[in-house]
Amino acid sequence: MPERIKHGPLDSKNLKPSKATIHLIKDQCKGCGYCIEFCPKKVFEESEEINARGVHPPKIVDESKCLLCSFCTAVCPDFAIFVTEKKCEERC
Amino acid sequence: MAEKKEPKSEGKAEEPRVGVYVCHCGLNIAGSVNCAEVAKYAATLPHVVLAQDNRYTCSDQGQEGIKKDIKEHKLNRVVVASCSPRLHEPTFRKTCEDAGLNKYLFEMANIREHCSWVHLYDHESATEKAKDLVKMAVAKAELLQPAEEIEVPIIRKALVIGGGVAGIQSALDLADTGYKVYLVEKEPSIGGMMARIDKTFPTMDCSICILAPKMSDVGHHSNIELLANSEVTEVKGYIGNFTAKVSRRPRYVTKDCSACGECAKVCPIVTPNEFDVGLATRHAIYTLFAQAVPATYLIDMNLCLNKEGVVVCDKCMKACERKAIEYEMKPETVELGVGTIIVATGADVFDPSILPNYGYGKLANVITSLEFERLINAGGPSGGHLIRPSDMQIPRRVAFVQCVGSRSDKVGRLYCSNVCCMNTIKDSLLIKEHWPDTEIFVFYVDIRAYGKGFEDLYKRARKAGVKFIRGLPSEIKEDRRTHNLWLMGENTLQNELYKINVDMAILSVGLEARKDSETIQRLLTLSRNQDGFFLEAHPKLRPVDAATGGVFFAGCAESPKDIKDSVTQASAAAARAGILMAKGKVTVEAITPIHYQEKCTACGLCVKVCPYNALTLNKDLKKVTVAEAACGGCGTCAAECPFGALTQSHFTDGQIIAQIDAVTEHDANKKIVAFCCNWCSYAGADFAGVSRMQYPPNVRIIRTMCSGRVSPKFVERAFARGAAAVMVTGCHLGDCHYINANYQTQKRVERLWKKMEQNGLDKNRLHLLWASAAEGEKFASTVREIKPIVERVTPEEIEKARKVFEKALEDD
Repeated sequence: MPERIKHGPLDSKNLKPSKATIHLIKDQCKGCGYCIEFCPKKVFEESEEINARGVHPPKIVDESKCLLCSFCTAVCPDFAIFVTEKKCEERC
Repeated sequence: MAEKKEPKSEGKAEEPRVGVYVCHCGLNIAGSVNCAEVAKYAATLPHVVLAQDNRYTCSDQGQEGIKKDIKEHKLNRVVVASCSPRLHEPTFRKTCEDAGLNKYLFEMANIREHCSWVHLYDHESATEKAKDLVKMAVAKAELLQPAEEIEVPIIRKALVIGGGVAGIQSALDLADTGYKVYLVEKEPSIGGMMARIDKTFPTMDCSICILAPKMSDVGHHSNIELLANSEVTEVKGYIGNFTAKVSRRPRYVTKDCSACGECAKVCPIVTPNEFDVGLATRHAIYTLFAQAVPATYLIDMNLCLNKEGVVVCDKCMKACERKAIEYEMKPETVELGVGTIIVATGADVFDPSILPNYGYGKLANVITSLEFERLINAGGPSGGHLIRPSDMQIPRRVAFVQCVGSRSDKVGRLYCSNVCCMNTIKDSLLIKEHWPDTEIFVFYVDIRAYGKGFEDLYKRARKAGVKFIRGLPSEIKEDRRTHNLWLMGENTLQNELYKINVDMAILSVGLEARKDSETIQRLLTLSRNQDGFFLEAHPKLRPVDAATGGVFFAGCAESPKDIKDSVTQASAAAARAGILMAKGKVTVEAITPIHYQEKCTACGLCVKVCPYNALTLNKDLKKVTVAEAACGGCGTCAAECPFGALTQSHFTDGQIIAQIDAVTEHDANKKIVAFCCNWCSYAGADFAGVSRMQYPPNVRIIRTMCSGRVSPKFVERAFARGAAAVMVTGCHLGDCHYINANYQTQKRVERLWKKMEQNGLDKNRLHLLWASAAEGEKFASTVREIKPIVERVTPEEIEKARKVFEKALEDD
């Protein structure tokens, strides 16, 4: 198998990766940082702001990197994150 | 392998009666050596009762003569001075056996490859050298002892490494014969390069259509166990009894997979697809191509979000109706016991991005022939539409550039890749078939349409209007606006410069040896030629055998070849392996160590150097025992023993010393005593002969199985008897036929150098050379380099060396 891939794939322009909307319920966050640590695409980082519970909730660095795996929802102890897929009108 | 402990009494008690046959080999030897004179000289040697010269000793007539003489003259030793023992030793050994003489009582003097062919124009020196070589052989022959070979059973199972068309064919042939076959493939699916090609030349068959049924046969055959996504990591043992370790990478998908593809649809990861040479994309869970065997999907864990047991994304698992996905699968190692191994590892394609003048990688519309195959393939990324990458439009003017990475000094690939000319002709016809108006230019050096039906195809292409222009472009430039290409060069047939505008250029890339072929080379102790392809045991008569017993080659691993040749060779390899397995047993040469218990001090040095762990030291009994079945026959133990308690059967200390003494009896101060190992440097010297590379005639070669057999006392003895120079030669470090025995050679030579320096001797007089079987020129040039050293050596220096190494003479 030749390991040289010089030109980008021809079909890469036609690819329509699903796009996500990440919903953060900031005041529900207790600042454990699990979402930041476990997101495989490193979509989150700690923000400067302080929420109602007196901690730094996460902020979204790059929403377009999200692959909709919803692992953040699974690991969040406080049900403070969920992800939805953008409707076709929005991305087509 | 066992040395017969009590040789037949006839051989031992009797006075040696040696018969010497000097072969003319037509004019091959007689052209430069006066064979009659050599025979006359041989008759004067001690114990020689008969010496004659004849035209072809290997002919039936010649062999019959030997048989008759053995009976009539009661010969009990036979010496034939002719070609290399690597060629005809088996022939003459059989002749002796037929006449009732033990085959280990036969010895050969190589006066063709090592004499007449390398000293074509110096008849006098060649004749003198031939006399010396015969004298050495007679000296050794006197001391030969009969030996019996032990028989080793052959496991009736085969291992085929590589699942391209060659590996598939070999596996099917062997399996159909009735042998169990393990087919190991590195990729997730078998099929190899042929699976990616669109049509095959010269018949224009659809490649995958003729390959897929064979692939599916492999998948279903009850005698074939297919290990895809696996690699051979270790091979131990010897002919008939190999143990191979194969590591199986996990697929993370069980056999329950129905290849429906629902999982791939939901996988969020996208990456370029290697099968389509990066022209299309695939997901982290994928199958290489539609017809893949095994059809089971697999997960690329380097890309999957689930790592270290944490399930982050389970979309594929949810999509799988048959619950075939298992993220926790672990790699496993399987151990296979096999009797024969077929190496069908294939070839890589040349990477043209190292040629800046063609702009591959920078210019979007310059592609390789392999990329073209995927583009024109109906199963490929463009659905069979030839499109150019810059704007996805069908090109109207297309250029093919031949010999990219073949026959070129500049890129270091000097050989012709065999397939590219016909591949281009086929490709040009394919374009004409689909889009007849396309203008096609083929820039070539020579068109090699040598095979059956090839010339017809070439004519068809020319008739169809493909323009063949002799002279490769020197440069490809791009029009920045349109991304069209300008090819500039010289038409060497018309002596004029051309500058041609095309929409797309296809670089017809050559084949090169696999980048990881070194691993296989090391695992199976194989040799490779200068181009990097595996070296066969004999280029004409044993073209599919490796020098290592029980190992065979099929397909491009041995040299670039097309599908037909690969399949032919694959069937040949299967037949060769089948012969061994049908016999069910093999005899192994009686060249194991002989142990003299009374001299042994149980120091354990021999145990440490044995590459095969065939020697064990029993500390309580103060005894060393030899496991002959495990012995490879290198003789390193014998060279290591400081007490002379070990020697190698058929290469005993006495026999080698007799050869050294024969060389150094006269004019030692003008001669080089060279020790060559059977597998690499001796074969390299043979190659120098076959290629008629001329070198000075003052070198005398003594053959050992391994350079590790060369005991320091042999070198010392040569110097003590006044030799001008000594050469110790072997396989390259890491390539030793006996795993690592040549590291001992290096150690010993370094110790000798030190001793020489300490005693004020010129250490250049002892030369250590690593030369492979393909490096004839290296051997020849080294002998040329040593010549001035020999000429420089003064009588005082010779005398000094005699004194320093005086002790070596005492061993008699």
